[in-house]
Amino acid sequence: MGPSGAGKSTLLNILGLLDQANSGSYQLQGEAVENLRERKRQELHKKHMGFVFQAYYLIDDLTVYENIETPLIYRKVKKAERQAKVAETLDRFNIVAKKDLFPHQLSGGQQQLVGIARAIVAQPKLLLADEPTGNLHSSQGEVIMDLFKKLHREGMTIIQVTHNEKYAHYGSRIIELQDGFIRKDVALQTPASTYSKQPQV
Amino acid sequence: MLKNNLKIAFRALSKNKVYTFVTFFGLTVGVAAALLIFRMLSYELSYNKSFENHDRMVRVVSEQTLPQEGESYTVCVPIPAMDVIMDEVPQFEKITRVKEFWVTTSLPDPNGGPPLKKFNMETDQTAFFTEPAFFDIFQPEWIIGGPAEILSEPGVIILTESFASKFYDDPAQAMGQTLVLDNVVEVEVKGIIKDFHDQTDFPVPFLSSWETMKAHRNYFFYDENMGSCSSNNQLFGLLKSQDQLEEANTVLAGISEKLYRRENQNSFRKHVLQPMSALHFDERYGHSGTHRTSMSRLRILGIVGILILIMACFNFINLATAQASLRAKEVGVRKTLGSSKRQLISQFLTETALIVFGALIFGLVLASLCLPLLQRISHVPEGINLFSDPQVWLFLGGLSILVTLLAGLYPSLVLSRFKPIRALRNQVPGNLSGGVALRKSLVVLQFVVAQGLVIGAIITLLQLDYIRSRDLGFSDDLVYTFGIGIDSSTLEKQLPLKQAFLEIPTVEKVSFNSDQPLSGNTWSSNFRYDTRPEDEQFSINLKFADTDYRETFGLSLVAGQWYEKSDTVRQCVVNETLLRKLGVERAQDAVGKSLRLGASRKVEITGVVEDFHTHSLHQEHDPLMITTRKAYYWEAGAKIRPGNIQGTLSAMQKAFDEILPEQVFEGRFLDENIAEFYADEDRLATTCKAFGLLAILISCLGLFGLAAHSAQQRVKEIGVRKVLGASTTGIVGLLSRDFLKLVLIALLVAAPLAWFLMQRWLDNFAYRIDIQWWVFVVTGGLAVLVAFLTISYQSLRAAMANPVDSLRNE
Repeated sequence: MGPSGAGKSTLLNILGLLDQANSGSYQLQGEAVENLRERKRQELHKKHMGFVFQAYYLIDDLTVYENIETPLIYRKVKKAERQAKVAETLDRFNIVAKKDLFPHQLSGGQQQLVGIARAIVAQPKLLLADEPTGNLHSSQGEVIMDLFKKLHREGMTIIQVTHNEKYAHYGSRIIELQDGFIRKDVALQTPASTYSKQPQV
Repeated sequence: MLKNNLKIAFRALSKNKVYTFVTFFGLTVGVAAALLIFRMLSYELSYNKSFENHDRMVRVVSEQTLPQEGESYTVCVPIPAMDVIMDEVPQFEKITRVKEFWVTTSLPDPNGGPPLKKFNMETDQTAFFTEPAFFDIFQPEWIIGGPAEILSEPGVIILTESFASKFYDDPAQAMGQTLVLDNVVEVEVKGIIKDFHDQTDFPVPFLSSWETMKAHRNYFFYDENMGSCSSNNQLFGLLKSQDQLEEANTVLAGISEKLYRRENQNSFRKHVLQPMSALHFDERYGHSGTHRTSMSRLRILGIVGILILIMACFNFINLATAQASLRAKEVGVRKTLGSSKRQLISQFLTETALIVFGALIFGLVLASLCLPLLQRISHVPEGINLFSDPQVWLFLGGLSILVTLLAGLYPSLVLSRFKPIRALRNQVPGNLSGGVALRKSLVVLQFVVAQGLVIGAIITLLQLDYIRSRDLGFSDDLVYTFGIGIDSSTLEKQLPLKQAFLEIPTVEKVSFNSDQPLSGNTWSSNFRYDTRPEDEQFSINLKFADTDYRETFGLSLVAGQWYEKSDTVRQCVVNETLLRKLGVERAQDAVGKSLRLGASRKVEITGVVEDFHTHSLHQEHDPLMITTRKAYYWEAGAKIRPGNIQGTLSAMQKAFDEILPEQVFEGRFLDENIAEFYADEDRLATTCKAFGLLAILISCLGLFGLAAHSAQQRVKEIGVRKVLGASTTGIVGLLSRDFLKLVLIALLVAAPLAWFLMQRWLDNFAYRIDIQWWVFVVTGGLAVLVAFLTISYQSLRAAMANPVDSLRNE
C-alpha cells in the first residue's frame, strides 16, 4: 500500500523481473537476480510468474480462450495439454460460456477474471497484481479478492498493489511504502505466510 | 505456433484495413512491376543461349580507325582476308563464311506460266549463303535431308520448316523441288531443318550454299577485292575452347597488321572476335536479328525494377513502424505473458509474410494483365504466359523470402525490442525516434526516384515531339515505298511499271532508286572535287535515283537543276553540307564543277539540293551525292494523292502483278519507315511514363502512411493547439508543411541527377532539345500537389477532430 508515486508499481515490476533496480539486491530462489543474464531472467519470469493489471491488458484480437491459451503457447506446452489446461481454467472461473467472445464483448469484471485466468493458467508460483480492482466497482472487486484468497489457500504467493484498505486486509502481510521506502510492515494473523524472498528497496 | 501466428496475423491485418490495403496494394504494384522487368530482362539475356556451343561461338568483326571520322565498327571482313583468317588462326575448331541476302522466293509453274507461289522474306529475316561448317557451329537440326556437305555444291537451298510450310502443307513435300530466287537463281531443295530458336539474332528462313552465290557473283555483288568490305559478308567461328579468345585475338591482330598496315597509311583495319554472348548487346555492330539491346539499358531497367520493389518495401517498413506505437501495448502484454523476442519476431514476420504472399499472387495476376504494356516497351513477343514459366515461379519464390525479410525484419525488430512496462504505458517514442528519421529518409528516397523518372519521361517526350515535328527536308506524306528486283528482266520492266502506275489517276509520281531520303543504309566512297589534286579527307555518301526522285520525295534545289536521265553515273546533285565541308561558299559556284568517285571518271554537278535528313536525328547531316545508276534501283517510291488510298494501292497491286508476276508487291508508307527509326525512343518514353507514374503512386502510399502515423502521434499536440484557438487550416498547414518539405528536398536531389543523365541521353542526338528549367518546376509542382492531396485526408481528419476526445485519452 501507499500513496501515488510511492514506488509500489516499480517494486512490483522489479519483483516481476520486468524492470531492474538501480541499487540494492534482489534474491530469487537464492540467486541475485541482477547478476543474471537477460535470457535467464526471462526464463525465471516465464517459469514462476503471472501478472494481473489494473487495465486488464487482454489482447483485443484474441478470444477469451485464446487469451488464456497464449502463455501456454509461449511456454511451448503441447496442444492437447493446452486444451486440457485452458478448459480446466475456464471451468474453474465459470467462464466456459464466454470462451469464444472477444474482450470488448465482456464487462470489466469479466475481463479481469479472464486476465487472472490467463495469469495463473501456467501455474506460476508467484502472482503479481497491480491494482487489479482499480477499474472495478466494489461487488466485482470482491469477487476478484475472494478468488485471490482461494488461490492463496492453494499455495500461490500473491503480491498485490492496492489503494484499498479493505482489500489489503485480504492478505497476510501489508507493506506500506512512501517515497520509495518501507514505512510499515505488518504481518496479519491469517494463514501462515509462504514468503520465499525478502525484497529490499 | 505457425498456425497460431497465421490466425493472429490474419486477424491483425483484417482489423487495420487501411494499413493492410495500403501496404498490400503498394507491394502488389511493386511486385507486378518487378515481375514484368524480370521477364523482360530474362527474355533479353537468354538471347542466343539456345545454341549448344554458344560459349565458344564467335564472329570476326572489324575495328577501323579513320583519320577524320575516328573509330568505326563493322561486321564485314573482306573476302581475301577471310581466306587468310580461315587458314591461319589455330584456335578455331570450325569456321564458316556467311553472306546475308534478301530475295523473293518463288515456286515456278512447270508449264511456264507465272509462278504458283511466291514469298518475300519477312521484315527482319535474313537468309545466309554459307558453307558446311555452318552446321558444326550453329547446329541446326535436320528434319529431312543432309548432310551438311551439300552446302559445298552450287544450286542448293535448305529451308526451315516454317518457310517450307509456306509452299506445302507438309514441309517434307518441298524436298527435291526447284525454287527460284529473285527470278534469277534456280535452286533445289536439299534439306529441311528446324526453325532457329526465336530468341536468337538469326531469324533465318533458309540457307543456300556459298557456291550458289559465287555462281551468280555479279548479281550478288560478290567482290574479291581487298578494298571492298560489305557488312553482308561475315565470318563465324567455333573456338576450340572458350579461354582461347584472347589468344585468337592476338593472332588476328598479327594478321591484320600484315594485311592492312602497308596498304593505306591513313586508315587501319583490325579484326577482333566478338563472342556470341556479346552479339545481342553490342550496339556498335550491325545485326541481322530484330533488335539489339545494350547492356546499360538492361542495367538501368534492372535498377528501376529493384528501386520500385525497394520503394514498396519502404512503404511496408514505414507503415509497419508507424503502426508500432499502436501495437506497443500488445507487445507489452505478450512479453509479460512470457513471450520471447524470437517468438514476437516470428509473429510479426508471419504477418508480413501473409501480406507478401498475397501481394505476390495478385502481383502475378496484375503483371499478366499488364503484358500488353510490356510488349509496348520491350521486344518481348506476344503470347508469353507468366503462369507457366518456371523462371517466374523461381523468381517469385526468391522474392517472397527477400521481401518478407526486407520489409518485415526491421519493424519486427523494433517492435520486439520494446521494454514491456514502457510499452504497456505507451511510452515508446523514445524507441522510435530513430525510426522517424529513417522513415523520412525513406520517403525522400522514394520521391527522388519518382521525380527522377517523371523528369526523364517529360524530357524523352519533348525530344520525341521535337523529332517528329522537325522538318526533315523532304516530304514523307503519302509516299508508298516498296522493293523491286534488279535482275536484268525486271530492270527492263521498270519503265513499263512506272507508266502503268502513272495511268492510275491518284498516282502522282513514281521514282526508282537505291534508298529513300532517310534510310539506315550508308553507301560511301572516297572522292575528289573539281580540279583538286588529292582525295578529300572525308568520304561522300551516295544515293542512286532516277530523275523523278526529287518530285516524289519533295526535295528542293538551292542552285542549278536536277540531273538528266541516264542509266549509268553521269551527272549528279550534291547537298549543302558537302559544299560547306569543301569550303565552297556559294552554291552556284559548284554547279558545272565535277566530282570523281574513287578511280572512276568525272561526274558533273548539275545542282545543289537543300540539306535533308539522310539518317535518324541521332546523326548530323552527311555530305551527299545523288546520281543515276539503274542497276541499283531496288527500291521504289510512289507519291499518291489523298483520298481513296486503299483503292490506289490495290490498283497498283494489280498493275504490278501484271507486269512482274514473279515478284511480290509489298511495301510501307514512308512515314511508317521513319517512325521505325524512333521506335526505341518511343519505348523509352513509354517506359519512363509507366514507371514514373508507378513510382509516384508508391511514394504517395508511403507518404499516406507516414502522414497517418504523424497525425496519430501528434493527436494530443493538435488537441492542445485547438484548445488554444488554432484554426483547422492552420493545423492542416502545420501537418502538411513537414511532408511537402520532404518532397522538395527529394526534388533537389532528383533534379541534378536526372539533368545529368538526360543530358547524356540527349547527347546521342545530333539534333536535340535543350533541357528547360520549367521541366523541373512542373515535376516538383506535380509532386507537391499529389503529395498534398495524399496528406490532406489525414491532416484534415486530425485537424477537424474534437480536441476533447483526443485529450481525454490521457
